[in-house]
Amino acid sequence: MSKRKMFLKMITASLLRRRSRMLIALLSIAVGATILAGLVTIYYDVPRQMSAQFRNYGANMILLADSGETLTQTAADAALKAIPEDALFGATPYRYIRLDMVSRQLSFTTAGTDFTQVQKTSPYFHVNGRYPENEREILVGKEIADSLGLRLGRVIELTYKPTVAEQNAGVPSDDWVPGAALSGSAEGWQKEPVYVSVSLDGEGLISSISIDASLQTPEFGGRAGTDEAYLRQFIGKKLPLEDGDVDALTGATITSGAVVNALNSARKATRTAESKRSFNVVGILETGGEEEGYLFLSLSDMESLTGENDKLDVVEMSVQAANSDELQSYADSMTQADERLTARLVKRVTRSETTVLSKLQALVFLVTAVVLVLTMISVSTTMMAVVTERRREIGLRKALGASDNSIRAEFLGEGLFLGGLGGILGAILGFVFAQVVSVNVFGSSITFQPLLLPVTVLVSMVIAAVSCLLPIRRAVSIDPALVLKGE
Amino acid sequence: MSLLEIKNVSKIYGELKALDNVSIHVDQGEWVAIMGPSGSGKSTMMNIIGCMDKPTSGQVLLDGVDISKESSKALTEIRRDKIGLIFQQFHMVNYLTAVENVMVSQYYHSLPDEEEALEALGRVGLRERARHLPSQLSGGEQQRVCVARALINHPELILADEPTGNLDEANENIVLDLFRQLHREGTTLIVVTHDPEVAEAAQRTIVLEHGRVAREIINENFVD
Ligand SMILES: Nc1ncnc2c1ncn2[C@@H]1O[C@H](COP(=O)(O)OP(=O)(O)OP(=O)(O)O)[C@@H](O)[C@H]1O
Ligand SMILES: [Mg+2]
Repeated sequence: MSKRKMFLKMITASLLRRRSRMLIALLSIAVGATILAGLVTIYYDVPRQMSAQFRNYGANMILLADSGETLTQTAADAALKAIPEDALFGATPYRYIRLDMVSRQLSFTTAGTDFTQVQKTSPYFHVNGRYPENEREILVGKEIADSLGLRLGRVIELTYKPTVAEQNAGVPSDDWVPGAALSGSAEGWQKEPVYVSVSLDGEGLISSISIDASLQTPEFGGRAGTDEAYLRQFIGKKLPLEDGDVDALTGATITSGAVVNALNSARKATRTAESKRSFNVVGILETGGEEEGYLFLSLSDMESLTGENDKLDVVEMSVQAANSDELQSYADSMTQADERLTARLVKRVTRSETTVLSKLQALVFLVTAVVLVLTMISVSTTMMAVVTERRREIGLRKALGASDNSIRAEFLGEGLFLGGLGGILGAILGFVFAQVVSVNVFGSSITFQPLLLPVTVLVSMVIAAVSCLLPIRRAVSIDPALVLKGE
Repeated sequence: MSLLEIKNVSKIYGELKALDNVSIHVDQGEWVAIMGPSGSGKSTMMNIIGCMDKPTSGQVLLDGVDISKESSKALTEIRRDKIGLIFQQFHMVNYLTAVENVMVSQYYHSLPDEEEALEALGRVGLRERARHLPSQLSGGEQQRVCVARALINHPELILADEPTGNLDEANENIVLDLFRQLHREGTTLIVVTHDPEVAEAAQRTIVLEHGRVAREIINENFVD
């Protein structure tokens, strides 16, 4: 038999055949290891858990275009490459447009978006019914649904009219060229828009005109689109119109003024002034927030309604990061990569996440350290008692020729064996402990970290070894002569 | 040829002279008994010869080496290589079986060899009980295991302190027979005893009194 085998045999026999005392040492190590493994598991899992928890409160980063411009999906996609794929939990594009519900004379802020991403960045959205999946399906905020009495399965018709600002973008005079077809709009009675479109002849004079004043009071301003005499005045006039060029419609001074303003700011027609579409209500959205006052369409439905192509107002992102510095660095690199974009943190969410995390982690550290010290004291005391109990045996071993190093090796071996066994026990129990805590506190389970087992076992062995140092010193100092004294 | 040469050895505990200028010599292969009243310094002398203690003064030559001057590490080595110890209390490692207890001695000496250990137990008539723990053995059996353990590494010198003190007649005879065998094989034996019968089995008896050699008795009746 080899020496090593005998060594192991002696150690295991000592532990297995002298159970009671060693069981106490084993138990203290196992308890210590359990708490260590449990807390470390929670420690490493908490950021993930907390992230998931905080993500429930919405996106933690947004991507905007600079100075009120719009964003394109391509630019956004390019910018998103700055974030590692596995850290990007979701990125939701939004295009906000006001759409009119002509039948009720109401208009609503409507978001064109990607519903699969919405579910990732806004997990707190609660939808009665379902998210839109097909064309011409709409998600209606609860507030709107309540005020209109909308229910699932109903159909609503939405109209898109470009806003005055949208119509008037740019410098009109650039477009007043001979042969041009122009359109424009301006605010009329009660800020409701008036739309005009004209064509210019070879000399740049108005050759035809049509006016949409359907949002004005029908019996006054509303006549602007149909009153032949009124319309005829514009033919042959040159843009811009000046005071006295045309007479105002009786009883509709404001509408008439709006028509002139619309003409003077008219630009080459790039899109239909107005389009409408009907949508199936497939979901009612409850959030407890302002989203309940919005309508939500798919981006493609929105684009076919507005005629826009690839325009976004904001991209909301949910990004996983260890702390706000890491998050900020993602934002910075996105901002730097494309100067037309700005990425910003949604401050409230990220900051609270970091402070809560660092406090929790400090606490875990402290508790772990205290537990480890207590374990060490307990194991050390037990081993001390063990050495006293085994004085005669140690003396005997020395009398039989054991060197000090053999004695050290044997006790250290027993300590390490205890540490290893306690560590394995602790790693398993600790995982169970962490699992219970996680399920009860966070309501979600944790995955077993394979690294946890070797780490816990190693730490337990180190703790056990350190705890054995003093008892070993005492063991080594035992005098072999006491055996002959036959006490 | 002398294996052991004790010259003017004293061991002083404070006021007490446990050994007082003792000179003894033991030849290679000799069987010596040491007698004397309680407190006369027998165990003190055995401790010194057994390399577990050092004299206050004097020389102890074991195989020509002065062990009174060696470091405790060197003493451990000498004890391991040359000496087999048997005690009055049957000191066994209580969580190891009989054969494992014998192997402990091999383990510190060289290599554990179960076959050899079983053979040694066979010599003391305990081969059948090899797998028993000390708690399952009688006092006599335990002492026989200790004898097996002492002889397993073929020491030059066997030191036995009251080996039969706690044994009944039958077991005492078994142990004495083992000593006779060892003696025939050429092992030097030093046996401390209170029992005149055990002393008579030896070739020579040294009597200690108050830490001094009071007298020496040559056993005329010694049968080889
Ligand atoms: N470590 C010690 N410290 C102080 N005195 C000691 C020590 N060891 C032994 N003595 C004393 O030395 C004397 C001799 O002791 P020793 O053990 O050698 O006696 P012994 O002859 O073996 O007696 P016994 O037959 O009772 O075993 C005794 O008086 C004892 O009290
Ligand atoms: Mg004695």
